[in-house]
Amino acid sequence: MGKTIIEKIFYDHLIDKNESVAPGSIVWISIDYKSARDFAGANVVNNLEKNFTDNLIADKNRTMFTFDCVAPAKTIPYAVNQQRCRDFARKEGLKVYDVDAGIGSHIIIDEYAKPGMTIVSTDSHFNIMGAIACFGQGMGDVDISYIWKTGRTWFEVPQTVKLNFTGKRGGSIRAKDIALFMLKNFGSRTFLGQVVELYGPEIEKLTLDERITIASMGTEMGAISIMIPTVGLDGFTEFKADADAEYAKVYELSFDDLKEPLVAAPPHPHNVHGVSEFAGKKVDTVFIGSCTNGRYSDFEEVARLVKGRQIKTNGYIVPSSRRIYGQLMKSGILETLFDAGFLIANPGCGGCASGQIGMTGDGEVIVSTSNRNFKGKQGNGEVHIASPATAAMSALSGTICGL
Amino acid sequence: MAIIKGKVFVYGHDVNTDVIFPGKYTYTVTEPQEIASHSLEDEDPDFIKEVKPGDIIIAGKNFGCGSSREQAAFCFKYLGMGAIIAESYSRIYFRNCINAGLPALEIKNLLGKVKRGDVVEINTETGTVTLPDGSTVSFPPLPPEVDQIMQKGGLDEYIKAKLAAKNS
Repeated sequence: MGKTIIEKIFYDHLIDKNESVAPGSIVWISIDYKSARDFAGANVVNNLEKNFTDNLIADKNRTMFTFDCVAPAKTIPYAVNQQRCRDFARKEGLKVYDVDAGIGSHIIIDEYAKPGMTIVSTDSHFNIMGAIACFGQGMGDVDISYIWKTGRTWFEVPQTVKLNFTGKRGGSIRAKDIALFMLKNFGSRTFLGQVVELYGPEIEKLTLDERITIASMGTEMGAISIMIPTVGLDGFTEFKADADAEYAKVYELSFDDLKEPLVAAPPHPHNVHGVSEFAGKKVDTVFIGSCTNGRYSDFEEVARLVKGRQIKTNGYIVPSSRRIYGQLMKSGILETLFDAGFLIANPGCGGCASGQIGMTGDGEVIVSTSNRNFKGKQGNGEVHIASPATAAMSALSGTICGL
Repeated sequence: MAIIKGKVFVYGHDVNTDVIFPGKYTYTVTEPQEIASHSLEDEDPDFIKEVKPGDIIIAGKNFGCGSSREQAAFCFKYLGMGAIIAESYSRIYFRNCINAGLPALEIKNLLGKVKRGDVVEINTETGTVTLPDGSTVSFPPLPPEVDQIMQKGGLDEYIKAKLAAKNS
């Protein structure tokens, strides 16, 4: 019997090659890259130092800290935690992507991750690695501590389902709309604990940035991961399921049913409606960034839409990484965004996780390109999740609207 | 015989980690008792006033969705809660419960059969829960590998024992 993408990856990483990678089996697998963020990093250090005296790190060349949640630290406790990580990293010889570097998952997908690898961090959106058919997983501090120590972890082999996209994608439909379209149709639980492989002619055409957006919202769908075969993706070795792989279920969605950009209204990411249903809804603030939509092409599109015009809301630009920030600066895109009235912030997670920018007050309406709109997630306001294009159009009009 | 008996707090579907343990406290609050004191703060502010050690949460589908922050599982452990029973869990959250040594049972169709304040009894040896009306429902055992972690009281002790066994 053939294997799905996750079954192939797990098989390649089995500690004991005699174990079965059939769905439902519990296997021990090796982990290629291990990281922890400023959130949780200090706890990982505490766990290791509390429980062990030597050999704290299984593979120092492939273990790192990435400071992205509250970067730079906005309060002393956060600063204390970050320094605890730095001190530990110096002692152990680990790399630190410090407060200037940006979102860990984006650094790792750009610099380390390859199709077929296994990567973990203390970040529930690490499954963005599925964008390149790589297994990425967020875990709690205790889990991560022992993966740093031993280089391995247990995992229940998830079921894999297949989702075929048919039809032709419309001109106003962005990757975020595709992710929201999946949430609209499948909600937060259909894929609970499963891996979803995406197929279809329009899927093969997706760019890396678009794949990252879609894969990142697997978390909001309850999925372990959305895996996109690297077929059609320039610069990556082809990694795909076996032709005779078996799927727990096969679903189909048609682009014919996705006619307009979508918006997720509070309080759940699957509370998805067509953008036209929000016509006239006043917007106070727009946040463009996050691990879901903080890529170069996201800001490039926003700049194209706002060039020479003025936004009517507060607008925050938070590039996902320093590398992308530099590209945006050198290409003039940041200048265009600045001239249109946006506030340009340093790279990182931005408002997500109560981070360095973008909290909202009671009654404040924010259009955010992030991935969650739970109560308290980005402050007390009403978080509406949308694509960068919808966010830009809403910033220009002062009300929620799409392309 | 392992009996967990306590009064229940009942919640619906998709209870997320932001309402269980707000992100604004993650890693600014580090003492166990203080972590415990923010449990379910944005979902049910009365919970913390009423909860007693041994009490049980009963919830719907996809309990613990959202952030991977393990405080959302450890807060209940630190409160001394007896168990969580949900129809299904976010998988990251389920792992965090196992790692905390906090019993997390998957049982369907309990919502509607129990209300806040009812007392239920869980027998982890027979795999049954006795409801207030005297009826029982059963739940499947944990996979053996996962059960070993639970038996040790969490991942800390489990890994230490595993490494000690390897070194001896």
